[in-house]
Amino acid sequence: METLFNLPQESAWWAWSILLFAALGTYAWRGLGVMLSGKIKQDSPLFGWITCVTYAMVAALVVRIIVLPVGVLAETPMAYRLIATGSALAIMVSKKNGLVAAISIGTLLMIVLGWLDPLSSL
Amino acid sequence: MSQTAQNSTRDALWAGCRDAVGVPAAVLVAGMIGFGALGHASGLSIGLTTATSFFIYALPGQVVFVEMVALGASGFAVALAAALTAARFLPMTLTLVPQIPKADRRRSLYASAHFISMTSWAVMMRDFAHIQASQRMAYFTGFGMTCWAVSTPATMLGYLLAGHVPTPVTIGLVMLNPLFFLLSFTEVRARASRLALLIGGLSGPIVYGWAPGWSILICGLIGGTAAFFLDVALGKKN
Repeated sequence: METLFNLPQESAWWAWSILLFAALGTYAWRGLGVMLSGKIKQDSPLFGWITCVTYAMVAALVVRIIVLPVGVLAETPMAYRLIATGSALAIMVSKKNGLVAAISIGTLLMIVLGWLDPLSSL
Repeated sequence: MSQTAQNSTRDALWAGCRDAVGVPAAVLVAGMIGFGALGHASGLSIGLTTATSFFIYALPGQVVFVEMVALGASGFAVALAAALTAARFLPMTLTLVPQIPKADRRRSLYASAHFISMTSWAVMMRDFAHIQASQRMAYFTGFGMTCWAVSTPATMLGYLLAGHVPTPVTIGLVMLNPLFFLLSFTEVRARASRLALLIGGLSGPIVYGWAPGWSILICGLIGGTAAFFLDVALGKKN
């Protein structure tokens, strides 16, 4: 396995072969889910437990992306991300069906804060 | 299948496609444009960057892939890290599929499973309760396929736009994704699920600090189990 992955890194198909394995590794979870789902009844405690595990997983991922991001988001101060997130949440909770308003304002705030970058002038 | 059942299946498929075009597709397009820009900035080719959306179709894993390939990490490490961030798809699928009647689960479900993403999962968890059980498979297929279909061209667009779009705008587009999911969590009503979201959300960044690769699995299994038993201990809701 290691030799397969240790192709010369400058070769284009080194990257493509990693993509193949990353894609298979990702799909495996989806396929395994389909395979195992036949054994699970929607009204069973097992289903309830898996639902809890799923929500805990996605919440952990989403909060991690906002608080400890990788990529371009990592270059922004945490304060900007928290202000944008907090404002969007406040709008969402304060009125019914405010998803579009909340998400638009959160995103706009992020753009404006990044543009004016008030922290850098302190 | 009778004529009416066939018609209603087709209607459900179209309803899924239609409902995807709007906030869900916009969220995906924004995220993929941001991701395309990341691929460009990381020095990957447009083909490889775009192909990740087509084949992996899971943004956190794609980001890991691009960053690690750009850093020249070993192939095994990249594939493992990307696959680990995708662990959530197992329980996501396990909570989605049992809501579809057994009669509608054909072999093609293995193909449609590729359309399971954070977006399609979050929307189905919310809306399946209002959709007739017999229409859920068709609705999910239409919705999921539409979301997947817009992702690949959006990634290419993001790659091509990179450098022409001011960085703050790219950052805003990337931020749109986690924001959407966080906001959709506020619509979750069941107490056990809310506890799980709270425990998972709070522990996520902490566990990531000492076990970045495994944090999602750890938070999910331990946090989710804790939430499940806490809900049982709290007893029936008054």
